[in-house]
Amino acid sequence: MSKTILIGSPNSGKSLLFNRLTGLNQKVANFPGVTVDINSGKSLAHPDNKFFDFPGAYSLQTISGEEKIAVEAFYAALQDPQTSSVICVVDVTRLEKGLIFALQVINACAEQQKPLIIAANMIDVLNQHSLKMDVTGLEKALQVPVIAVSAKSGAGLEELQDKAISHTELPCAYSSDIIASDESVTHRQAQQLAADYGPKGDLLINAQTRLDEFFLHSWFGGISFLVIMYLLFQSIFTWAAPVMDGVESSLQFMAELILPLLPAGVVSDFTADALFGGIGAFLVFVPQIFVLTLVVGMLEDSGYLARAAVICHKPLRVFGLTGKSFIPMLSSVACAIPGIYAARTVDSPRKRWLTYLAIPLMPCSARLPVYSLLIAAFIPATNMFGGLIGWQGLAMFGIYVFGIVCGLLVTALVSKTNKDLQSDLPFVLEMPPYRLPSWRPLLRNAWSRSKHFVTKAGKVIFLVTVVIWLLGYFPNQGAALGESWLGQMGQWIEPIFSPFGLDWKYGVAILTSFLAREVFVGTLGTLFGIEGGEENIISLAEHIQNSGLPVGAGFALLVFFSIALQCVSTLAVLRRETGSWRLPTQLFISYSIFAYAAAWLTFVIVEAIV
Amino acid sequence: MTLWDLKQGTSATVQSFVSSLESSYRTRLSELGFHPGENISCVLSPSLGAPKLYRVNNSVYSLDDSVASLIKIGSQVGSQVGSPIGKSE
Repeated sequence: MSKTILIGSPNSGKSLLFNRLTGLNQKVANFPGVTVDINSGKSLAHPDNKFFDFPGAYSLQTISGEEKIAVEAFYAALQDPQTSSVICVVDVTRLEKGLIFALQVINACAEQQKPLIIAANMIDVLNQHSLKMDVTGLEKALQVPVIAVSAKSGAGLEELQDKAISHTELPCAYSSDIIASDESVTHRQAQQLAADYGPKGDLLINAQTRLDEFFLHSWFGGISFLVIMYLLFQSIFTWAAPVMDGVESSLQFMAELILPLLPAGVVSDFTADALFGGIGAFLVFVPQIFVLTLVVGMLEDSGYLARAAVICHKPLRVFGLTGKSFIPMLSSVACAIPGIYAARTVDSPRKRWLTYLAIPLMPCSARLPVYSLLIAAFIPATNMFGGLIGWQGLAMFGIYVFGIVCGLLVTALVSKTNKDLQSDLPFVLEMPPYRLPSWRPLLRNAWSRSKHFVTKAGKVIFLVTVVIWLLGYFPNQGAALGESWLGQMGQWIEPIFSPFGLDWKYGVAILTSFLAREVFVGTLGTLFGIEGGEENIISLAEHIQNSGLPVGAGFALLVFFSIALQCVSTLAVLRRETGSWRLPTQLFISYSIFAYAAAWLTFVIVEAIV
Repeated sequence: MTLWDLKQGTSATVQSFVSSLESSYRTRLSELGFHPGENISCVLSPSLGAPKLYRVNNSVYSLDDSVASLIKIGSQVGSQVGSPIGKSE
């Protein structure tokens, strides 16, 4: 099997091109540095050829550890006899920058005598604005095939694939005119080539600047940032609510249809309590995960996130972070795992390390079912201004802000007390062009994230639910939950959680949630299902309301879940990224103690007020 | 005078880097276009000390004071009212 390497500057549209060529669904976003691993996939048109998508690089001369790993991997791939061709992706709207890198790649390919093709990407953007570039002229000047393509529309991709597969016909010898050993010569060459063959005029960049003048304006920029962030959190409730209601009604309908057909006893009780009560309670929240991923993806694709990073830079610097920390922190709102990977875009090792401390405190989507459940149980579902502002949405916004503030306070404290923490680099961030989001990849990404959430968390929830149900149902066939095996075990752990007003059922749910946060909802659903007997189909929020849980305990639970690091995957990925168990262990222990103390304090304060 | 002193809507030529700037970062800035002899314009200068936006050729970068103040520039060239980065064709 032959191999084709895809390489290019950050945000040149390389991963979108890779997805087009392979039919895969690699994460893409309008922000530099999204690809952090080398991905591979078989060509759709020529299955005997494999494409390798390398992380974007500004240069083959590296300045950080991560860049070094990617560039060394590129050189190693060039030496691989199976590598038959290299495609260097260049964004034609920013031609000079792309050509500086392309000239370096030409140099590297010349050394290894590997054929190279330049993919002049985003040709559709030039066409939209009636701008032209001289592809033939550039091809002649470089003496390398240059193919105009649009990864977005698919234009030119057939020619690109055919060219890559017919590598034996491609030149492996390069003109000495374009091979420069000196960096300043490469620079002048790129400048001249862009001036001679690139699109003329400032139309694109002027349009970008007009939008920047608004989105980065001292007042409007700050206000629009707050409005966008608020709408993001509000959308989780208002947009997802009808679908959530639909899922809940469907589950109820299915339960009413299936349960009468089952023989009374263990099978019927298991189906009602563990399947519909436990797993069903968790499935209701999947639409919220979908909406959250979709809206964050929209912001990424539009180019707005880079502006948000600029807006946040000065305030985040107060807490020892950088504007670049904003992207991993916002990604962590969907899930901490992509957030930890996105932290690789923070080039300063010191600030990246501090970002790792903040990420587990970001309100991830696994916390969402717990927050939604507790808010639904304790906050009235009244809306104002035609549903634009609702108390539940405000409460969600509040608990999200609480998590973020905790994260910032931790980084500020560590940054102030540990000045020599790793080396630092200054803030330089490329502003990507504004683009209309591409709906298809966004919807696909949101769907795959929701599917991943259901299949991955679902397995754990199913296992825990079955174990919890068995322990709670026997030995007295569900007659009295308190006298079951689980009830007896629960009495032992009750003293741990009773200081913040929780009985043993919540204690068991908290302990099981250390496997994954969402398990809390499934466990409670199963426990209330067993206890509820005939009424086990009513919503879990109603069960909590009827259980007489004090308001202070509800708030304490919210605070506990917003701080505690109950995610095995986060700990494993942190270990992978930092190369040791030291940081994950420290974070797990310190955040558990912090969560317990803050929850107790919340309970005491709220109970004193109400 | 440094790049951080450049006012919105004006441009200047990069002269050199302050010696305290790490050599690897000097190389990276040069690759991005901030190299001696290059003309840089300040596209946007938000208030409250937020990072400024600088245009180099057809790319726009945001730099904060910690790095922009390490790039020495020549004298500023004229204010371009209405279109700080030049006129379109």
